[in-house]
Amino acid sequence: MFGNHVSSLSAAYFDGQLTPAESNRVAEHLLVCTRCRAEFDAVKSGIGIANQIEIVPAPDDLWSGIAARLDQPNTKPRLWFLKPVAVALAVVLVVGIALWLQPARSAEGQWRVASLGGAPRINSQAIGESSKIGIGQLLETDATSRAQIDVATIGRVEIDPNSRVRLLETNPEEHRLELERGSLSAVISAPPRLFFVNTPSGVAEDLGCAYTLDVDDDGNTVLHVTLGWVALQLMDRESAVPAGAACAMKRGFGPGTPYYEDATQSFRSALATFDFAPNANEKSAALTTVLGEARPRDAMTLWYLLLRSERSERASVYDRMAALVTPPQDVTRAGVLDLDPQMLERWKVKLSIRSDVLPKKEKPRSFWSKVWTETIGRIHGLARKRQH
Amino acid sequence: MLDQIVLTREQQPVKESIDSRTIAACQQGDRAALRVLFEEYKDRVYSIAMYSMSGDEMAAADVTQQVFLKLMTRINQFRGDSEFATWLYRLVINTCHDEHRKQRRFVSLADSFLQTQASGESPPARYARKELSGRVQSAIAELKPKLRWPILLKYVDGLSYEEIAAVLGCSKGTVASRLNRAHKALGRRLGHLKDQF
Repeated sequence: MFGNHVSSLSAAYFDGQLTPAESNRVAEHLLVCTRCRAEFDAVKSGIGIANQIEIVPAPDDLWSGIAARLDQPNTKPRLWFLKPVAVALAVVLVVGIALWLQPARSAEGQWRVASLGGAPRINSQAIGESSKIGIGQLLETDATSRAQIDVATIGRVEIDPNSRVRLLETNPEEHRLELERGSLSAVISAPPRLFFVNTPSGVAEDLGCAYTLDVDDDGNTVLHVTLGWVALQLMDRESAVPAGAACAMKRGFGPGTPYYEDATQSFRSALATFDFAPNANEKSAALTTVLGEARPRDAMTLWYLLLRSERSERASVYDRMAALVTPPQDVTRAGVLDLDPQMLERWKVKLSIRSDVLPKKEKPRSFWSKVWTETIGRIHGLARKRQH
Repeated sequence: MLDQIVLTREQQPVKESIDSRTIAACQQGDRAALRVLFEEYKDRVYSIAMYSMSGDEMAAADVTQQVFLKLMTRINQFRGDSEFATWLYRLVINTCHDEHRKQRRFVSLADSFLQTQASGESPPARYARKELSGRVQSAIAELKPKLRWPILLKYVDGLSYEEIAAVLGCSKGTVASRLNRAHKALGRRLGHLKDQF
């Protein structure tokens, strides 16, 4: 019985809008259901209130007002055609502006692509000597083809064979490619942090430079900087890489430690082990090798190792650095071992490491960098997701 | 108990009293015919406007004038497919909506007292009556429009559920549901005043 509450029928019941059978059901239900009876009482009160609604006599002078307005020169009807004309003109204006802007917007959202050999493809379509790539489109080169992309008006990127590159964004505040696989060489003449390349293992942020990026089939990246600086980033881990230096990024880990390319082979190999090996003993042994092989020029690398080594190892890093490059005044061993920010900053300046790159946590990052680096940081090498 | 409900006001639905000749004359621009329509409906149109506009007499008068001016220019659109009153009340509701939109930018300072025609009432009784009417007006004006219109059409002009459905373009069941909700809302808002009715 209570499954068929009748409160929604209260007003209709009062108004005699129900069939006799429905009315009987309502009446019987109300006798036994307190909930519906309460609702019914509320409706009943409402009906009592609504019955207070009165017809209010209209003011006597209403008609005179209407008559006066009817007697007025009927200007509006004569201009009735103006409204649709105005609407039509507005539509034409809007459409015209949209059409006028459309080519400009398309051009702005596309980059020119030229074939440097072979048969590069954009979205699987072979391109001629020149074509354009739009946001979201994929440029592919096979083993025999190469291509050059004009990065808006700020530089150019050459795409090597066996590469896959997608245009993610281009606007006055940000130009962004994704290098899924293969290699590219970029020459950018623009303010820092305007041009970005996403890779499966992190983001390369242009700081005004020329560089190459290589992404292998596992999504791991190696950066070689030939001019200026490039920052590599994944989540809170960031490495600023100067000209003449290189840096690896491993999928699911992010950037390793930058190093000058003229460092010894054992230095570079040991550094890779220190950066990416999972075994603590291996890392410790690698650190010993790195410190032993380090030259004064490699103090840049050791400065990063101060931040990335365990406290127990940090003393040996400091001692080796101090032996290679005299610490600035007021920089103490104890302070550095405690990672005193001001002391680290002073030493960094002396080593000419870009001060606009580190420390990382205080530096604002662009929306795209944040999304990309945090996303691929989270998935740790699992299937990549496009940020589009 | 439940079958002893006594409604406090007799409801006498207003029958269509406008003949087709009056409407046809109005469609020809006959101002005298418009005057006939005006006299027939002015109080109901004004009342609906008054309750809809929270008792703002000036706004209600303006809405009423607008309704009859629109009627004069749009009467040719009336094809006789529905009752004239149905067509007219749609015009009233739309005009009230327009006026509400205009007034949204302003805070209505209109007093909420209702003109009463009660003669012979003592000043305290008249005051109490005005106050009560003002509260009823406010409560109705605060209903959502979809609940307010069925109430006004039912109690101002005594339209049936079917007629209300025709004006509002909905089903009779929807009208029943909205009236139920509207009555319940009014009862909960002003139920404590029921002894004053």
